[in-house]
Amino acid sequence: MHSKRLQLFNYNRSGVDSASSFVNSERCAAIGVPSLLAFVLFVVSVPKFDITAVVAYSAFPLFAAILLNISYVTLFKRLLILSPFILIMAAANPLLDRQPFITVGAVTFSAGIISGIVIVVKSVVAIGAVIIFSYCVHFTSFCKVLRTIRVPEVFVTQLLLLYRYSFLLVDEAQAMQRARSMRSFRKNGTGIVTTAKLIGSLLLRTASHADHIYRAMVARGFSGEFDRRNKISFKLTDWCAIVSIVSVFVLIRIIF
Amino acid sequence: MHMADALLSPVVGGAFWVVSGALIGYSAKKIAQENDSSRTPLMGVLGAFIFAAQMINFAIPGTGSSGHIGGGLLLSILLGPYRAFITLASVLVIQCLFFADGGIMALGCNIFNLAFFPAFIVYPFLYKRIAGQAVSSVRLGVASILSAEIGLLFGASMVIAETVFSGITELPFKTFVLFMLPIHAAIGIVEGLITYGVVSFVASTEPLMLQGASKVKLNKVVVITFAVAAIITGGFISHFASSHPDGLEWSMANVTGTEEFVSSVSGKVHALSSAIQEKIAFLPDYSFKSPNNAAVESEQTALAGTTISGIVGCLIALLLVSGIGFVVRGKVRRVREGA
Repeated sequence: MHSKRLQLFNYNRSGVDSASSFVNSERCAAIGVPSLLAFVLFVVSVPKFDITAVVAYSAFPLFAAILLNISYVTLFKRLLILSPFILIMAAANPLLDRQPFITVGAVTFSAGIISGIVIVVKSVVAIGAVIIFSYCVHFTSFCKVLRTIRVPEVFVTQLLLLYRYSFLLVDEAQAMQRARSMRSFRKNGTGIVTTAKLIGSLLLRTASHADHIYRAMVARGFSGEFDRRNKISFKLTDWCAIVSIVSVFVLIRIIF
Repeated sequence: MHMADALLSPVVGGAFWVVSGALIGYSAKKIAQENDSSRTPLMGVLGAFIFAAQMINFAIPGTGSSGHIGGGLLLSILLGPYRAFITLASVLVIQCLFFADGGIMALGCNIFNLAFFPAFIVYPFLYKRIAGQAVSSVRLGVASILSAEIGLLFGASMVIAETVFSGITELPFKTFVLFMLPIHAAIGIVEGLITYGVVSFVASTEPLMLQGASKVKLNKVVVITFAVAAIITGGFISHFASSHPDGLEWSMANVTGTEEFVSSVSGKVHALSSAIQEKIAFLPDYSFKSPNNAAVESEQTALAGTTISGIVGCLIALLLVSGIGFVVRGKVRRVREGA
């Protein structure tokens, strides 16, 4: 059985090719990181009854998804995996806030229904934007941007190592899980005690990997810091792009 | 439990971004001072280990459902507060950006809820004191279960506080508490049990692994200051800001020094857009009936910037944007195939 995390991991692993050949990852990261932050900030700041503004903002991820030819089915499945909590919270609004808000023909919509819809659309738009960002920007480029904006070296190194080794260890964990299910019937062997030992031995393997990696890094001249040149310089065109993108967001926010 | 963007106001999200950012900076500085590069790859790989371990499911006793380890307490036990905090924060950043699990605006909240408490509060103040240096399995068990429980309850309470301060959901405080805390109390026991299982396995096979973390000295004054600062910023600022209808306008007004700036600009743009709208609108006379109650009506006319024609207009714009997307995509494909 696939866990939620494994599904998300596999989507990410298979999806990157579609867009990364389409765009220049480093430029996309330089423009994308500030734009994504601004976008999410604007989407989040939309007042709770303002459907038009959130719908207007949804144009951006929709446009990008179409342009980059991202599979809608995959996008939809990812949204579904991620949103049960949000759906519960949104579903509570119509029950709790029953004040009539607008009447269209014979149907009256309560304020709770409107604010519930806004929550759902907001989350779809914000999550959609992040998913599309992850399709366009390679992780290394993202880390280079973080170094450029002076995020501490320790943290960026940590992100790079974590990302790199997650593929290796996830494969190992999957192999262990498969071995366990092949040796047992039904739910035998999935108890806490057995699983803790399984995770414990994965941990020991991890520690031994860490040791090998450290020796390999030291052999290649590692002294606690990755390459200092590992940065992206922001060009004038990047700034122009960022400013124009953010102004469009501001404009939409003012108009709607 | 990951917070989502859609339930958060920009002020609360921003406040926790600042606090979590400062904590990352502080921890990074402390780690740089330790000058022990041999633990750098260990942190990276242990972060990846948490990812991997979360994919191994186990059956939760008595429920028939399955769960996975959270890993906050386990990392703190293995790495000590500063390194565990950085590692947990990095796991959350990757979950947020590359799996879209937990929003970007909510990232600061998530780091605070899920990394700060296990690394800086529960591990040094509770786990270390109960478990001590002994490998006695009773003390280890009590320490693990209690610490995991308290850590998760702290985290869940912060989720409640952040959501209530944001005021996006209508769920009343009491219902929310009754909904969140019992679930997290149950999850906490399971998390404690599995952490205990892993730690006692490691203690019996590779006891040296557990000793590195306990040597790290924590600056408790700084940690408590951070905790208090976070709660004050999150609570007070959002309370103050919530009297303004819109957090962004409020902050824009702060930047420009005047509230009229926003309203005058927005007024002009509104006038212009309504003039354009009148000319091109295909549903000019379409309006909706408001409820008969006059007081409610006036309040809601003010609230409702939404009109049916606005929404329909937006949907048409979306269709147009999609159309342009398809055209551009087709063009790019043709150019590529030609090349």
